[in-house]
Amino acid sequence: MTWLVWRQYRNQAYVAAAALAAFAVLLLVTGRQMASQYRTALTLCAASHSCGNLANTLTLGNPVVSLLITLTVVVPCLLGVFWGGPLVAREFETGTSQFAWMQSVTRRRWLIIKVGWILLAAGAWGGAVSALVTWWSSPVNALQHQNFQPAQFDIQGIVPVGYAMFAVALGIATGTLLRRTLPAMAITIGVFTFLRLVISEDLRSRYMTALTITSSFLHRGHHSAMPTGSYWLVSQGLVGPGGKLLSAGSQPSSGIHVDGVPIASLPRACQALAFQGPRSFFPCLAAHGYRGSFITYQPASRYWAFQGIETGIFVLLAVALIAVTAAVVLRRDA
Amino acid sequence: MTPAIETRRLSKRFRRVTALSEATITVPQGRISALIGPNGAGKTTLLRLLAGLARPTGGDVAVLGSPPRQDPAFLADLGFLAQEIPLYRRFTSEDHIRIGGHLNSRWDEALVRRRLQGLGIPLNQRVGTLSGGQRAQVALALTLAKRPRLLLLDEPVASLDPLARRQFLAHLAEAVADSDLTVVLSSHLVADLERTCDHLILLAASQVQLCGDIDTLLAEHQVLIGPRKDTTAIERDHTLVQAVRTARQTTLLIRRSGPVIDPAFQTADVGLEELVLGYMGQNAGPAPAQLTTIGEDQ
Repeated sequence: MTWLVWRQYRNQAYVAAAALAAFAVLLLVTGRQMASQYRTALTLCAASHSCGNLANTLTLGNPVVSLLITLTVVVPCLLGVFWGGPLVAREFETGTSQFAWMQSVTRRRWLIIKVGWILLAAGAWGGAVSALVTWWSSPVNALQHQNFQPAQFDIQGIVPVGYAMFAVALGIATGTLLRRTLPAMAITIGVFTFLRLVISEDLRSRYMTALTITSSFLHRGHHSAMPTGSYWLVSQGLVGPGGKLLSAGSQPSSGIHVDGVPIASLPRACQALAFQGPRSFFPCLAAHGYRGSFITYQPASRYWAFQGIETGIFVLLAVALIAVTAAVVLRRDA
Repeated sequence: MTPAIETRRLSKRFRRVTALSEATITVPQGRISALIGPNGAGKTTLLRLLAGLARPTGGDVAVLGSPPRQDPAFLADLGFLAQEIPLYRRFTSEDHIRIGGHLNSRWDEALVRRRLQGLGIPLNQRVGTLSGGQRAQVALALTLAKRPRLLLLDEPVASLDPLARRQFLAHLAEAVADSDLTVVLSSHLVADLERTCDHLILLAASQVQLCGDIDTLLAEHQVLIGPRKDTTAIERDHTLVQAVRTARQTTLLIRRSGPVIDPAFQTADVGLEELVLGYMGQNAGPAPAQLTTIGEDQ
């Protein structure tokens, strides 16, 4: 069976291996350059005691490579479409299921070995790409502290392994249900993208209760109590009259905002003062009963817990999809 | 000895369509059975049910003594070749031979190589680029290499030209002669199978019309030719299969229940084609009440 899987997928495997090798070479070369650039900058700023401002003055890496890194977010989806989609659907479409299932191998074994190898390969490829991206990004992570932000969180660490396995399972399951490769591929793209967006935009911030920091207008250093490191800012806003938390929520509205709150919703008397700086603006807000501002955030220490939870969710979804596939393959007519 | 195939009231319904209705058949071991019926009669459905590729919606089926099941030993005993000759089109014959070797505990690799070399089919050419006839030969060789005890072939010669057709059937007969293999092969053309087969399953309109040894069936049937007259007495004593009445003459195809003693009628023997067409014609006619499902032992 393993030989059959290898024979069916060896061209895809060669292509994927070549792409991975090219990507690895590019990242190793540019990653080393970037790391040494960062080390040099650190040495220089330490000499001039200006390292606190380094994040604003230093631009790391080549924008083209950075773009490529960002684009690795589609790797799991590609694996799902090109490896998962045809796995069962193509066999139905060409009738070769009638060849494969009439050899002396049960459908159960056929499915376990085929699905097993492809899931393993998808996890390995997703993991390899992610490992390269994570290594490459380490100077950027250290400088910008952005690896808990969705755009970076989704392409680093272990979550790409979960995404890849889920995408492949999704491709296999839709292909099995539809028995057509192309529609299965299209639906895989749609469902995968939708689910990833829902989870990263809506669900992820609730894996653990976000921490809240409030700072009063009365104490002048308004932003002094910010968390440190690669924390993830979930929401921010003002503490309104009666201690009510006011925030724009996740849908940003147009116009000018103060700490995430649209200026139009603030007391009219204070609106004009907003452009004259905090010295007169904040006392005005305080005079109208506003107490201060707040942020909710996930601290940097939770990064790996979040990676684990998210990977777990996608691996469980993959298992459920494979169970559906197995039920269909074992029960339905060839 | 357990029959190679035994079904009782085997049925398969798809959402609205009945593909096979209450089929009761028996095929003893070692026979080459012709599964004949017009297009859409349910031949493919019957073969897929026997192979375990489809599940029945009613009735029972026993293949080599047990219902088709997902078990390596059972699958090893079955050879099934679907009508569309499903092979991996981008793989070579050599690839298929290797797949067969990996996927079967019993695998006669020498047999495939010998057959394909004998036919001059290149082993390292993608099967998608072979001719339809060559592809059918490759698929048959692969199916035979499993050394099955029951071979189910769905319209195996449909895509072949007359010469290749004869060659294919000759190879098949040769392969069967070497072993105690049972074969069921379907076709909508009687002429294809007349020379090769010794057993007949006749399907029309999703129902089994006839099933049994061809010589026995032929001996049981008779054509009566006589003047245009009342045939009620004959119809009472025998089973009327088909009646053709012209202004002057009546031609009857009957299944005899004894000797025919009406001196007005001349008797004639029945050929296989005539028998098959008689039952198919009857089925197209307005008397479905006459249809009976006749097993060999009845």
